[in-house]
Formats: sequence, structure tokens, C-alpha cells
Amino acid sequence: MLAQFQTSNALHWLGRQLFNRTDPAAFFDPLLERIDPMLAQQTIRARVVSITTETADTRTFVLKPASRWQGFRAGQHIALTLDINGVRRTRTFSLSSTPSQWQENGTIALTIKRIKDGLVTGWMHDCLTPGETLSVSEAFGDFGIPEAAEPSLYIVGGSGITPVLSHLETMAAAGSHAPVTLLYYVRTRNDVIASKRLAVLAEQWPALTLSIFTTNEPGKAQRLSDQHLHQVPGISARRCYLCGPEGLMDLASDLLDRRDVPESRIHCTRFSAPPMKDAVELDADSLGGQVQFAKSGKQTDSRGDASLLDIAEASGLSPKHGCRMGICHQCSCTKTSGTVINRLTGKTSGNGEETIQLCVSVPAGAVAIDL
Amino acid sequence: MQRLTESQLNELQQDLDQIRDQVIADLGERDANYIRRVVRLHRSLEVGGRVMMPFGFIPPVFLTATTALGLSKIIENMEIGHNVMHGQYDWMNDPSLNSQTYEWDTACGGDSWRRTHNYEHHTYTNIIGKDRDYGYALLRLSEDDKWRPAHLLQFANYVLLTTFFQWGVGLHELEFERLRKGDITLKEKIPFLKEFFRKGGRQAFKDYIFFPAVTLPVAPIVLAGNVSANLMRNLWSSTVIFCGHFTQDAETFTEEESDGESKGHWYLRQLTGSSNFTGSRWVHLLSGHLSYQIEHHVFPDLPAHRYPEISGQVEAVCKKYGIHYNTGRFAKQYGTVLKRIAGYSLPDRLRTRLWPEFSQPAA
Ligand SMILES: Cc1cc2nc3c(=O)[nH]c(=O)nc-3n(C[C@H](O)[C@H](O)[C@H](O)COP(=O)(O)OP(=O)(O)OC[C@H]3O[C@@H](n4cnc5c(N)ncnc54)[C@H](O)[C@@H]3O)c2cc1C
Ligand code: FES
Repeated sequence: MLAQFQTSNALHWLGRQLFNRTDPAAFFDPLLERIDPMLAQQTIRARVVSITTETADTRTFVLKPASRWQGFRAGQHIALTLDINGVRRTRTFSLSSTPSQWQENGTIALTIKRIKDGLVTGWMHDCLTPGETLSVSEAFGDFGIPEAAEPSLYIVGGSGITPVLSHLETMAAAGSHAPVTLLYYVRTRNDVIASKRLAVLAEQWPALTLSIFTTNEPGKAQRLSDQHLHQVPGISARRCYLCGPEGLMDLASDLLDRRDVPESRIHCTRFSAPPMKDAVELDADSLGGQVQFAKSGKQTDSRGDASLLDIAEASGLSPKHGCRMGICHQCSCTKTSGTVINRLTGKTSGNGEETIQLCVSVPAGAVAIDL
Repeated sequence: MQRLTESQLNELQQDLDQIRDQVIADLGERDANYIRRVVRLHRSLEVGGRVMMPFGFIPPVFLTATTALGLSKIIENMEIGHNVMHGQYDWMNDPSLNSQTYEWDTACGGDSWRRTHNYEHHTYTNIIGKDRDYGYALLRLSEDDKWRPAHLLQFANYVLLTTFFQWGVGLHELEFERLRKGDITLKEKIPFLKEFFRKGGRQAFKDYIFFPAVTLPVAPIVLAGNVSANLMRNLWSSTVIFCGHFTQDAETFTEEESDGESKGHWYLRQLTGSSNFTGSRWVHLLSGHLSYQIEHHVFPDLPAHRYPEISGQVEAVCKKYGIHYNTGRFAKQYGTVLKRIAGYSLPDRLRTRLWPEFSQPAA
């Protein structure tokens, strides 16, 4: 019933009048939460169903989101929000479970590595217990499995395995026959995340070739090298997926480039922004331009290296955002036309429709944004 | 005003900053729980009041429902709205408690309030000519305003202002006195007026049209209850606010003495221009802790429920510099406010004879 406040225009208008807020359904949250936190309307709540240990520093959290959560595609991530010592914190995590699991029993899984001194990951490992609730966003991101079954190669490091687990299990369940190779780099034998799930996949799904490399095992340090790629048959015809620490991703991109894999066939999901030292000097003259916010019908001119997030805010819009530094992807949004330059990587985008992070994208000429 | 040397002002700033830093370092779950508890109380009172109101044909129910709704408005305006809009809870990152987007249950729009109150009043506190909250451009409360015969009626004006306080506050930014003098034109105020009609209209629609209309057979009762609840909030909030700056010893300042002032001087002005009143925990809650107006004015963005905890320290700092810490029982403080309003309605010569204590020279 409450959700109708959001869906029916007339009710929503009335709610705004009566409760003085743009999300009127959330007015009753303080009372509803007392009855059951899952009833809250301000955010989508999810209950922690179980917590299992993967490795010394990684755990899998199985969550059951409220029924109005709309589901996800394999490889997508969510923004997770929780209160720590009174402060609301939001962090991004990939879904490591499959969409079919969610369709069957309504649960999803996050596999989370504890970052050294990490506030949220540390708290989740130390304090979160089954039965508690936290908030999840709708899923987003475009690190999806190939639409048509085609040969693929995954180069993955550490906790970067999370969205890949979802990919592999989804493809396996669909009985895909196209060859899939997974090169998985971990520090030591004990750092293999989801080792059982991987073993089951390797055993039951003939299309998968699984190779696990340990980079820090004494006497057996195997870092990614051209040698490893050499063993992948028909590599130049494969769709490639990279997910892991920056160093690994950079090296992998380099090696693939040298093997003539076109950039359009390489897909990355980044768990962190490229280190600041990589941030490039932007050529001020080529920056700026007319910015059109299509949904809100606003239009403005920008100059210099102002990010689209700043520009949108200056025009009176309040796009969703988090870190403002290219880490969390909460500001991701569709650019319908025009080119932007990524402030962190210095890369210039194509001029068609694509997903960009507002907070690190600087317009280079006229752009239209779906905001 | 107490004169302090530049180095004393610096030291005063350091002392007060230290109190502030301590609280900031300690902000956390306790503060979050506190404000969420108050929000829950507000929701219970408002829902309870509105649900009971249609049964108000039973007199005790009418009384309970009206009191519940009145209290809910008071708590929402004073302890939640006012304080949230000061940014006291911004550190929580909760969009429902965000200073820039919060919209409260009163005729004055949040944006207008953030401009006139958070910026003008808190920056230029009690500077005659710059702080338009001083007397609300309606009342003569110091000798800086020249006496005119019209001031003889100002007590009646005060009664009107306190009765319709939410509308007075809502229209504050219209700057009626400057419009009348021709300093500004009505055209410049059109964006403001649009905002005012949108928000004021929304409030009137809710309390005076919608809720009576949906309870049609008992509409007059619901209307009467809603009017009374609004009146209750108007009277109480204006009284609390008047006690904050218009008591006997609350000082006023000139533009010259505050021009280009240091942070220390700003602190001094906040300390001497504000006044507290004492009371029970409930009085403090219902006043949004503006009963600790001094603490609020030196630290407007610290969670207000912290003011009682630091008031001892602030008082000690005042003592150290020989600054009068203006506090007293509610009745005493309010009494001096009424005297000030009545006193300054009279020509200065008459006033100084009748109430010699109100003889603060023109600032
Ligand atoms: C799209 C996306 C998907 C992700 N999926 C997963 C996932 O499935 N599983 C998972 O475990 N993590 C994932 N991450 C990374 C995760 O978001 C971070 O580990 C998390 O934000 C750290 O939060 P924290 O509060 O614990 O650390 P903070 O307290 O915010 O940071 C502590 C320290 O760690 C550094 N730090 C913060 N984030 C990272 C990072 N990502 N890598 C290296 N150092 C960092 C900070 O600079 C700081 O010095 C993903 C990130 C993105 C952007
Ligand atoms: S990536 Fe976090 S706000 Fe843009």
C-alpha cells in the first residue's frame, strides 16, 4: 500500500503536500521500523540470512532483500548502506550469486574481502550478524555475460572473482557450450575464494577451463604473463573480462592489446578508482561545452574541467552520488550523446550512448545526459 | 558590551573551539539514537493526534487530540526541523535529516528559513539594521529605532505576531519594511512570493482543507482542532524565540563594531546577545533546546541535546572573561521580554522613568 505513494502520481502529490517530503512513503518509517525494519520505505532493506567464511579475510553474506527489489543481471553490483556509530555509510559490492537463485528463493549473496583498516568491510566482518538488516540499492553496472554464447576469457585477481562467479554459474546453468577460460590469481592457496563452487563448476561444466595461480606462494610465485595467455586457445576471438587489483588489470589490458584483442571486446569492472598518480593533466582548451540534461529539460554551458556531477548540481539537479572521486559508481548514469573525458584515466569516451560516472567525467564539447 | 582585547578574544575563541571539538569528536550513535527517538515521538504524536481528532466531539478526546497534534508540531518545528536545518545531524548522512533538503511542518519554506535565519540571523545576531529578526521589523525593542507614536500600539502588534507567528515567519523574507520605503520592489520579491504561496498553501491545504474534508461529518471539529494545534505551536515557539534575544540583558550591536570582526568577536557577540532559561527536560525538548540559546548561538550546528551537557563549560568560559551568562527561570526571562516590548512602545523619557533597568544606551 505504502509503495503506491511512489507509483501513483496523484497519491505521491498528496503525500508531498501532507508530509512535506519528496519521499512521502518514508514518513512512517520511524514507526514501521519498530514493527519490522524490512517495512521501511526510504531505502530497500535486506535481511542478513547467513554469513559464511570463504578465506581468512573474506566472507559471503547471504541477504534477502524486501520484495520490491527488482533483481539483477549476472555481473552487476549494488550499493550497500548501513549505519556505523550513527553515520550512514555506503559502499559498492558485486553480487556473487546468480539471478536464478534470487528468482528461486529471493536471496542474493555478496562476497566481501576485509580491507586493511576498512571501516565498512571491517564492521561487516566483526559486527554484522544474521537477522540484522541493512539497505541495498537496485543493481547497476554493465559487466554482463555475452549475449550470444561466444568464447570468453576471464582474468581475475583476488576478490575480483565475485561478479565472475555469478557469470560462470549463470552460463553453466544455461548449458552454454562456448569455451570459457578462467585465469584466477590469488596470493596463496588459502586465498582462493569460493573454492568449492569453482571446483563444482570445473567438474560439472565441460566448457570451463579453470587455472588457479598463486602469486605469493613461496617457491611457486606465478604472476600473470604472456605465457599464461599463450595457453588459451583462440584468444584473439575471445571476449575478455577483467576484474581484480589495478596492477593485474593494467597488465592484462597490455598483454591483450599486444595480442590484438580489440578494446571493444575487453570488459573491466573496477573495484577501486585508478590511483591518483595516474590522474592526468587535462588539456583545458578542449574541455567544456553545452550540457543538456534530457529528463529534466535543463541546459547549461560548462567551462574548464568541471565534472558533470558539479555541473548538474550547479543547475539545481541532485543526481545520486557517493564518493565524488570515481570509486563507488553510484553516480553512474547514461550519456546519450557527445564525448566526455574521464578525469582519472584521461580517456576520451566514444560519442554514442554509454554509461559514465558523472563525478569524474568532464564534457569535451556538447553532451546530452539522461538526467 | 563587555570589552575584550584582541588577545583575549583569541583566547576566548580557543576556549570555545575546544568545547566544540570535544563534542564533534564524540558524535556518534548516542546522538543518532536521540534524534531518531525524537522523530519517532513526533510521528506517534502526529499520527495519534490526527486519528483521534475526528472523535473530538467527545470533549476529552478533543483535548487530547489537539494537544497531541500541537505537541507534534512543536517538536517537529523546534527539536527536529530547526535543528536539522542548522546541519546538526548532517554528519549522519541520513537524507531524511539533511540540512539542505529538510522541509518542516510550518508555513515558512525551508529555503527561505535557511537564508533568513541560518545565514542572516546567525551571522549578524542582534546587529541593529542587519539582523532583521531583532524585533522582526515590527517591534521597537531598543533605542536604536527612533520612537514614533505608532509604537504605542506595539503590544497589540506583538499579540498579533505571536498568534500568527508561522505566517509572520513565512513572510519575513518579503522585507515588508523595505518594500514600504521603496528600497526594493515587489517585482524582486516575486520568486520569494511564489515559494511562500506554494509552501504556505500546502500547510493551509493540509490542516484547514484536506483533513477536515476527509472527515466531513465532523469537519468543524477537525478544523477547530487543527487551528488550535497551530495556535499552540505559534504561541509557544514565538515565546521561546523571544526569550532567546529580547530579555532584559540581551545586548544589541552596531554595524560598525561588528564590521570585519574576528571569530572571537563573533563569539563574544553571540554570548552577550543571547539568553537562556531554565526548566525541566521536557521544557528543553519542547523548546528545541533553544532554552540554551547561548550555547545554540555559539555552536549552532552541534546537536542541540548536547547543549545541557556543555552549558557548565560555556558558563565557566563566560566567567573567566567576566561575560554575563544571561539565564533565569522561564517566567522571569519572559517577564523581562514583555516589559521590553511594553517599555519601548513608550517615548524614551517615559520609559526610563518607569523602567530604569531598560536604559541600555543606544548601541
Ligand atoms: C563496482 C565495485 C564492485 C565491488 N565489488 C566488491 C566485491 O564484490 N567484494 C569486495 O570485497 N569488494 C568489492 N568492491 C570493493 C569495495 O567497494 C571496497 O572494498 C569497500 O568500499 C571498502 O570499504 P571500507 O569501508 O571497508 O574501506 P574504507 O574505510 O573506505 O577504506 C580503507 C582503506 O582502504 C582503501 N580502499 C578502499 N577501497 C578500496 C579498494 N576497493 N581497493 C583497495 N583499497 C581500498 C582506502 O583508500 C583506505 O585507505 C567493489 C568496488 C566496486 C567499485
Ligand atoms: S563514483 Fe562515487 S560519486 Fe561518482
